Amino acid sequence: MNRTYNDLMHRMGRIFTMIGLIILLGIPVLISLFSGVAPNYSMMLQGILALSILYLPGGIVEVTTYSPVLGTSATYLAFITGNLANLKIPCVLNARTLAKTEIGTEANEVISTLAVAFSSITTIVIMAIGVLLLAPLRPILTNEVLAPAFNWVVPALFGALGYQYFKKNPKIILAPLVFIVILAIVSPSFIQRNLPIVIVLSAIVAVLWAKLLHGKNYI
Amino acid sequence: MLLAVDQVKEAWWLYLMGLGVALFIISGSLYFAFSAYKKSKELGMDRAMIKRTVISSITFSILPSIGIFIGVITMAGLLGIPLPWIRLSVIGALHYELMAASVAAEGITLMTLTTQDFVTIAFVMTISILWGPIFALIFFKKYQTKVIDRATTSKQGGFGKVLFDAFFIGLILAFFGDAFSKIFQYSVRIVENGVYLVDSLGEPIYQDLKTIVPVIVFFVAFLANAGFEFLSKKFKWRWLENFQLALSMIIAMVVAVLFGLGGIY
Repeated sequence: MNRTYNDLMHRMGRIFTMIGLIILLGIPVLISLFSGVAPNYSMMLQGILALSILYLPGGIVEVTTYSPVLGTSATYLAFITGNLANLKIPCVLNARTLAKTEIGTEANEVISTLAVAFSSITTIVIMAIGVLLLAPLRPILTNEVLAPAFNWVVPALFGALGYQYFKKNPKIILAPLVFIVILAIVSPSFIQRNLPIVIVLSAIVAVLWAKLLHGKNYI
Repeated sequence: MLLAVDQVKEAWWLYLMGLGVALFIISGSLYFAFSAYKKSKELGMDRAMIKRTVISSITFSILPSIGIFIGVITMAGLLGIPLPWIRLSVIGALHYELMAASVAAEGITLMTLTTQDFVTIAFVMTISILWGPIFALIFFKKYQTKVIDRATTSKQGGFGKVLFDAFFIGLILAFFGDAFSKIFQYSVRIVENGVYLVDSLGEPIYQDLKTIVPVIVFFVAFLANAGFEFLSKKFKWRWLENFQLALSMIIAMVVAVLFGLGGIY
């Protein structure tokens, strides 16, 4: 990849991340200052420790797993704006399928950056509209009839996306599908409570199976 | 001056902070989008393809974003609107924020919430999720140079291209597994007024459920996308490509609603 452009994106990405971290950390500090109340330090440290034990390994796994898919600018952007597995990654997968770009190329960097940037803007705009129109929207969005639609928005998203990827590589599906179905039957709670780990395991099975098929010239 | 919790959680200055976060994300996104657009011109990429990417990314993101906003409403019962708005606009997720609230202020309810609880919750929610961006800041450039660039450029007998498709298939199947596993069992922690309910011993209250709906939703979206692709190819409706993912999701979500109306959740 062109070093100059990539280096610039790393530099700007790091600046963006640093400003983002300062803003995010500044919010609780400002709440404390404006309200005139300090946090309960003992509870705060306990809470941070307990959650970090869960989320620190997740942070490492997410950066190592998702950054090759996202590319340079989109990695920095997505790791501040969040919703990676349930929005940004599928959005990038959809965009690169439409644009037919290969990972590691400059064209793919462009496409994934545009996908993550406009996905982030869409989320921010919808959240802002939601906050502004909360009174009229609340009864609609919390209506019990609509609840199943938003409860299952993630399987809807991955079902639609699955078609695009499964049709291109039907032979690769077999082994990871068998793996995931057995795991779901044997230990459903493991999948539900450890989804980031299951993503990595399922991806490893798929890659090893693909390597085997490729070695035997089946794909 | 010390403020009461009801004054803090709906304070105008907290809304102003939310607005600041929103503007920061939009500015950063526009900067990177504009840089990518300039690069696309340099690379001579097709304008129509760039437009399709933007339209498709926006339409694709609308429904999940509404789902994220519903998280704000869920949390608003305890924490008001602006703090959940800020938290869910940046790195975080509803289940994480609820967990952070219950860890930072054990056994908290709407009636017992104090300003100090609110401040403590804000600190815990913010700090504990920052590991991803911190790792991206420190290690990503080195990781890209040492690992990713080598993996994507090395000659692996043509396997490099298949490798990422296999990876994505694994990722999508993990989410299929999550939907499929709910046929057998899944537990939901009960939320009331934006906080996890606990019993008299302080233990979380779970509700054990089973459902076939997410798997059906997965397959309906899958088949709907296949149908839309057939239509776009048969009638040469290229515009449909921009919307087929979002439309497939809507159809699947409508099916979930219909099941719900039939008493199957």
